[in-house]
Amino acid sequence: MSNTVTRVRLALVAAAASAVVLAGCSSPAPSDKASAASCTPAKGKVTLQYWNTVPGMDKVVALWNEKNPDIQVQTKNISNDQYGTLGNALKAGKAPELAQVGYDELPSLRTQNAFVDASACSAASAAKSKFVPWTWSQTSFGGTGVFALPQDTGPMALYVRSDIFKKHGLAIPKTWDEYAVDAQKLHKADPDLSITFFDPNNAEWFNGLLWQNNAEMYGYSGDKWHVTVESDQSKQVAEYWQKLISDKLVRTDLAHGSTQMYAAYQKDQIATYVGAAWGYSMFRDNLPKQAGKWTIVPMPTWGTNGASGDWGGSTVAFMKGNKHLHESVKFNTWLNTDPEALALENKLGGLYPAANAGLELPALSKGVPYYADEKIFDVFADSSKKIDTSFSWGPTQKTVNLALQDAMAKAAAGNGALTDALSAAQESALKSMKDQAIPAAAGK
Amino acid sequence: MTDLATRATRVVAPARSRRRQLGGGPRARTVVAFLIPFFLPFVLFYLVPVGYALWQSFLVVRRTGGQYGTSYTTFGGFEQYTQVFQNAEFWASIGRIGLFGIVQVPVMLFVALIMALLLDTPLLKVKAFFRVTAFMPYAVPGVIAAIMWSYLYSPQLSPVVDLLKGAGLHPDFLGAGAVLWSAANVSTWLWTGYNMLIMFSALQSIPQELYEAAKIDGASNWTIAWRIKVPVIAPSIILTTVFSIIGTLQLYAEPAVLRQISSNISSTFTPNMLAYAVASGNNYQQAAAISVVIAVITFVLSFGFLRLTTKRAGL
Repeated sequence: MSNTVTRVRLALVAAAASAVVLAGCSSPAPSDKASAASCTPAKGKVTLQYWNTVPGMDKVVALWNEKNPDIQVQTKNISNDQYGTLGNALKAGKAPELAQVGYDELPSLRTQNAFVDASACSAASAAKSKFVPWTWSQTSFGGTGVFALPQDTGPMALYVRSDIFKKHGLAIPKTWDEYAVDAQKLHKADPDLSITFFDPNNAEWFNGLLWQNNAEMYGYSGDKWHVTVESDQSKQVAEYWQKLISDKLVRTDLAHGSTQMYAAYQKDQIATYVGAAWGYSMFRDNLPKQAGKWTIVPMPTWGTNGASGDWGGSTVAFMKGNKHLHESVKFNTWLNTDPEALALENKLGGLYPAANAGLELPALSKGVPYYADEKIFDVFADSSKKIDTSFSWGPTQKTVNLALQDAMAKAAAGNGALTDALSAAQESALKSMKDQAIPAAAGK
Repeated sequence: MTDLATRATRVVAPARSRRRQLGGGPRARTVVAFLIPFFLPFVLFYLVPVGYALWQSFLVVRRTGGQYGTSYTTFGGFEQYTQVFQNAEFWASIGRIGLFGIVQVPVMLFVALIMALLLDTPLLKVKAFFRVTAFMPYAVPGVIAAIMWSYLYSPQLSPVVDLLKGAGLHPDFLGAGAVLWSAANVSTWLWTGYNMLIMFSALQSIPQELYEAAKIDGASNWTIAWRIKVPVIAPSIILTTVFSIIGTLQLYAEPAVLRQISSNISSTFTPNMLAYAVASGNNYQQAAAISVVIAVITFVLSFGFLRLTTKRAGL
């Protein structure tokens, strides 16, 4: 016994000692702002690192490497722990030249000083016209620089089991009000049938719904963030879904993308899916028996507001320490606007392009067999153009998403309401920004 | 090795004086050589990270130049700790884990003890088989075990749920009230065999004479079990309790996996999950403070328990 105690004491002393040693070498003093990036072309051969999470991206890059012997690109798949890997690399000063970053993580990473502004390269600024407007608005932070180029998007639409709707004599809903009426009718006709499911652990999806209703959650002006997660628009969405949950018209026990979710669809228990463009292959690959039964239509709208929402998608960011901006811009532009590259990314990685040119790809203008040969991508392309361009993400989005999810789960379990979840998210946004010393205030 | 052996026989007489001069000489070098493989990784991968976390927990983030200016860390005293102590989620997670421990640890150890005692009686045949099967779950990584169990809990996929439905029962293993116990069940399944083995090996080392003496005094198998075996292996039971307390406070894998299929597990369900969630939001300093507080609570509880039991048992 006394032996153990001594050992513990020794360990504590040693720990304290190592803390003192470490104290000497951590916490860099505030350095001045990163010097303006330069866009001088390199002399000779350049090798760029590009970290991403897209299946098959190595093949797309191989195509580039073949054609560009002087700008060789090496890829690394970091889908295991995308932001953890990037965060560690940044801390160690070993970030790649280019990295995949989701739209919703752009402000957070920029707050950590993760990017370099590529606007010194005229080619980067000139790329603006090549992308769907909202994507450029987010990668340029409202036109204040070029920190990333958009890669793919997730314009939202409604997936409908047309056979189930036909069986119950229902028309395709055009507004959320009609959707709620259909929800009731379906459930009344068959208690085991729900119009859709609400996954409380999927803040990204819910954010897409808020986006559709022009619920802008963050603004930046006067050197501080204005947090408006709780707004009339967001409350409208929350109250709508709360009613569906309270009336038990939507399932709340299914996690998005889980085996359980597919099982429920397989058993004809759910009639629609509120999803994004990239979801088309999920249904095709996981529910082969339902081929021909699905149709994809525009998202139900809020009254006269015809806007759509976006769920997911990502960018290729110019990372801090990038010494080859000229070459990086060249590669990045090719990767995200060249029709050949986009077609391959769509085929191998299922990416739905953010580039205007991508929306016209031959592969995206054909009928899709699984969806009864309908031209489903026309629906997504249309949706893509109807997305609010002034929406922006917060600098602590991940923390806010977790808080939102935890509170949405409580609401789904009958403990509080979804509007409470918005309050929790608002509070979490303000607190997490304060913790990171980011100036912020509630309200516009 | 032979060098050491010969020296050992040679130095019997002047051993005392030798011990005094440990600072130098070939013997000290031998000691150091044997200790380095342990101490070097121990310092590098244990003490240094712990020290680093401790250091981080006293820092706060500051920023110059507005939103996208430069951030830096500076000494903030106990600011992070104040926040941890004021964090309702933190205390809720501690409470949850406390409830988990108070129920799960005694149940698991009681089952382990019964199994160890059964293995130690001549009543049970094919002992090797039972020993191995009981221990087998421990060989399954915690995450895999949790995934396996999550299939058994899932209402859409589970044959167990289907069977119970057939019997008119509608269990919700993932419901708000049940999910903590579903996680406890996975932990119990994983660790009972391990604890049983520790107790069983302690039972094996009890000298046969004790049993013979007890038999002569007319003790039944039952009396032998409760009056001789259990008291003699008390130190192992205490040891497994301490391990279990530590394990409970560090609970992560089981609830984190079940979270994938149940929204009733929040991102702050256990203290470790809370620390992870905070760290993934880039607040490493606060996460470090949470970790330090968990470590201190673990220390206090395990050593407090050791103190209490050793005093009472006079061990």
